[in-house]
Amino acid sequence: MTKANNHFRDGIGRRALIAAVTLAAVLPLVVPHVTNARSLDDAKRSGKLVVGVSGDNPPFGFVDTSGTQQGYDSEIAKAFAKNLGLELEFIQLSLAARIPSLLSEKVDILIAGLGMTPERAKSIQFTMPYLETKMYVVGKRDTKITSPDNLGSLSIGTPRSSTLDTLLTAVAPKSTDIRRFDDDSATIQALLSGQVPAIAANQFAMERLEGLAPGTYENKIVIGGVWYGAATRPGEKDWNKAFNDFFQAYRTSDEYRALFKKWIKNDVPQFPAELKGITFVAQ
Amino acid sequence: MPVNLDFWIVLQRWPELMLGISNTIILALSGMTLALVIGILGVAIQRAGEPISTFLVSGFVEIIRNTPFLVQIFFIFFALPFLGIRLSQNVTAILALGLNGGAYAIEIIRAGVDAVPKGQWEAGFALGLRARDIFRIIVLKPALRAIYPSLTSQFVLLTLNTAICTSISALELTSVGQRIEDETFRSFEVYFTLTAIYLVLSLCVMALLNVIGKRMFHYPTK
Amino acid sequence: MGMNEFVFLLNGLKWTILLTAIGFVGGIPFGFLIALARTSTHPLVMTAARAWVGLFQGTPLLMQLFVVFFGLPLIGLEVAPWLAVGIAFTAHASAYLGDIWRGSIQAVPKGQSEACHALGLGYGSTMRDVVLPQALKLSLPATIGFLVQLIKGTSLAAIVGFVELSRTGQMLSNLIYKPLLVFSVVGALYFLICWPVSLLGRRLERQLTTGRR
Repeated sequence: MTKANNHFRDGIGRRALIAAVTLAAVLPLVVPHVTNARSLDDAKRSGKLVVGVSGDNPPFGFVDTSGTQQGYDSEIAKAFAKNLGLELEFIQLSLAARIPSLLSEKVDILIAGLGMTPERAKSIQFTMPYLETKMYVVGKRDTKITSPDNLGSLSIGTPRSSTLDTLLTAVAPKSTDIRRFDDDSATIQALLSGQVPAIAANQFAMERLEGLAPGTYENKIVIGGVWYGAATRPGEKDWNKAFNDFFQAYRTSDEYRALFKKWIKNDVPQFPAELKGITFVAQ
Repeated sequence: MPVNLDFWIVLQRWPELMLGISNTIILALSGMTLALVIGILGVAIQRAGEPISTFLVSGFVEIIRNTPFLVQIFFIFFALPFLGIRLSQNVTAILALGLNGGAYAIEIIRAGVDAVPKGQWEAGFALGLRARDIFRIIVLKPALRAIYPSLTSQFVLLTLNTAICTSISALELTSVGQRIEDETFRSFEVYFTLTAIYLVLSLCVMALLNVIGKRMFHYPTK
Repeated sequence: MGMNEFVFLLNGLKWTILLTAIGFVGGIPFGFLIALARTSTHPLVMTAARAWVGLFQGTPLLMQLFVVFFGLPLIGLEVAPWLAVGIAFTAHASAYLGDIWRGSIQAVPKGQSEACHALGLGYGSTMRDVVLPQALKLSLPATIGFLVQLIKGTSLAAIVGFVELSRTGQMLSNLIYKPLLVFSVVGALYFLICWPVSLLGRRLERQLTTGRR
């Protein structure tokens, strides 16, 4: 094999090496280094609140056809920002990126349809709950599913990295073929295309499905209920307190009642004072 | 600032990772085989001279090469059922990998076939062989030999493409990693580990294909 | 699917083009550096460049996106998601472009640089005035070919949560329950951007080889 034609016996090599090493040493000093998480005071000084939301999970958070962030979570975020007197910036996150994005400080707070579970509470700080939903297995009318045991011989779709995944895995027998998709959109697609006979979904899915394919699907069994809470980083008392104080007052307002009716189509529920294994207030 | 990294929490689940790796290899090898078959058949059709079928093959190649693999696999998995064609996630993965790799293989192998000296064809005809036999017996092997490095590169890319199959719930390395991510929230550690594994995997595939190449093409040319 | 829905897809297309642009424009200067480093005779520099290229060519783009997305904060760079993904595409492009340009630099006949040396031209002038212009011309088909790969590669940003064209298609498919139509249109949109670029690359390749026969 002929020697590579590099045109030079002595290229930029040594100079390049010196340049690269210098750059590597200097860069960390020059690039703005955010060493601490953004505290509430930092946010107030910058005038902006950065909220992590879902971009494709109606009715919690979704982007409509005109590109605007909508949904129950988004409305709560807007009210929270107004309460703090800050401008609001939405960051749409995939299901799996929610908690890592919070922990890596991409957002100040998560209001993204995050189900409150003791496992998650180990990594993040939840606030008081702001919503409860029931989770179901939803399937075609002619598929027989009357108890979790029926799932054992079927393929059931679920969005990964969600409480649906956790609940389904807990309830379904070991022989169930659980098929995990990136998000709600893909999971519902899997059901609609017949790739799976049933999926795990929240109580709002049936309404959408009924609109798309009337009379084809129905809720089969309940697999659990979940409270949703906002989430902040562990140890950051200021954010946790700010949201709790805000929501404590907000949830008794008429504006909230109307918001709840609009998106959840129900009356405001009785919020629990505590949930097993989960603290609402940062220690 | 950096949260503490914990790689052990990922690495301790090596049995699942091994399962993922073996599935990835199965998908990749199956995809490569299909791609090779499609590649050879596609070139045969294009060089056969029949205008309609040549046009169809060229059209197929252009469409595959100018659309993303993700869209192709979504189409097969989510859209084709509405035409009555419902394929499982593994069959879809292999089909998509094979079609995608096959389109590129057609282009690569055609260059190899065109590079075979015309004299070979002429000699074949002089001996009374039909075109398709000449193609199969005389021309194909030297053609493959000529473009083998390009083909192996393409096949390594195919192996890396298996990572995308996780989006249709196929079980392979990335889907296993994502399961670990869902349960531990250790995204960086998971993906860093997966990246390292894929790097080793691609080197192994390259080495394997090189060994196969050496054995297949171990004949003197002059 | 009405006009409203089509515009929804076009919004996704906007992100596809934006991410491609960031990756390509960002990748050019770094790719250039990689190419120069790769053709250096200093062993450490050349090996580092070779490792960089090998890393990006030997791992899935999807993994590269994830690692950069979740890894940047760990080195103190907390940037918006779109910028994180943009940085990942830039790094990816720098490796591939660097390799392409390394190949084209090496394809320029050695006689060219030898002549420059005979004329007393230094490294800078030789590269800038003689070798690189020729190398660039040789590299055009492959560079443009890579641009098509990059456009298609942005579809993977969907998996990291970006509402670019592929993800938008997925969402729209759920809103109007017509996956066949939606994915066909999405595919057609990608085709409409990629195909002309592919054709351009092929035309340039023909033009270049004509001169050399």
